[in-house]
Amino acid sequence: MFRKRYHKQIPELNTTSTADISFMLLIFFLVTSSMDTEKGLMRQLAPPPIENQQPQDVNKDLVVRVELDAHDQLTCDGKPATLEELAQAVTAMAQVNRMGHVVSIQADPATTYEAYFRMQDAIVGAYHRLRDRYAQEHYGRPYHRLSADERALVNDYYPQRISESPIEKGGDR
Amino acid sequence: MRPMRSMFHKRHSSVPSLNVASMPDLIFTVLFFFMIVTHMRSDEVKVRLEVPAGSEVKKLPGHPAVINIYIGRSQEKGDAWQVQLNGDIVMAKEIPARINEIRGKLSAENAERLTVSLRADKHAPMGLVSDVKQALQQSYALKLNYNATEISP
Repeated sequence: MFRKRYHKQIPELNTTSTADISFMLLIFFLVTSSMDTEKGLMRQLAPPPIENQQPQDVNKDLVVRVELDAHDQLTCDGKPATLEELAQAVTAMAQVNRMGHVVSIQADPATTYEAYFRMQDAIVGAYHRLRDRYAQEHYGRPYHRLSADERALVNDYYPQRISESPIEKGGDR
Repeated sequence: MRPMRSMFHKRHSSVPSLNVASMPDLIFTVLFFFMIVTHMRSDEVKVRLEVPAGSEVKKLPGHPAVINIYIGRSQEKGDAWQVQLNGDIVMAKEIPARINEIRGKLSAENAERLTVSLRADKHAPMGLVSDVKQALQQSYALKLNYNATEISP
């Protein structure tokens, strides 16, 4: 009889509630953390204008004038345009004169942010495709697979020359 | 082998309990997954906003020197537009002072990498967004990230 007791196994620890505890942790993390992705369009702003600075003259032929009016209508060089047409105009101008062209952006204060963002997106997209093509031709790889140094070279080859005019209060017309 | 008697005489045994020992492990796996893919909400968003969608968006490099600016409609006062910087509602003209204050607390290395993540509502007027941008220019916070959701091209 004593022998039998000696051989009895140690009772197992009851771990049923561990699942509940870890569920609680899981729910805590679900509540306090956010899934929203930190994604966006990265832009570099121009430094603040220095006083008494003379505006530089740019050859009018090398400027793509992009305007957004109060009704979110996009005009490119004075003509109403779609985002695709804008991208084409930017691509064409950047190919004609890589280092000298300027994309000039002018938005109305009543323009919605979405229209403005889509315009920026289209312009960046146009440059991105140009760089992608250049990378493919010279390195045989798409832009996103280049090393950091190679990217810098490609970026220098096709610089983004975007100029934004400050938005005047109460409209500029 | 038990004696013959027990082969026919079935003993009343209770149903064996389900082994749930591995269940916490499973839940921990899910927990770790969530801990990795999400990030802690840094501040409560006090304005209502919906960011636009674009095709050229990239992931924002996750480093500590990020200032969040939200532009959206007020939660209480009808449809007025409001600007929120990190945790507080601010006026556009207060932004340079706030940014300088935040920059003062950062290390020199991080102050150089300071990035502003702008989350503005789709319908926000550019006049207001432009005010914020000019305030950022004045405070030399020039790295700006227009937050957006990604649409497949």
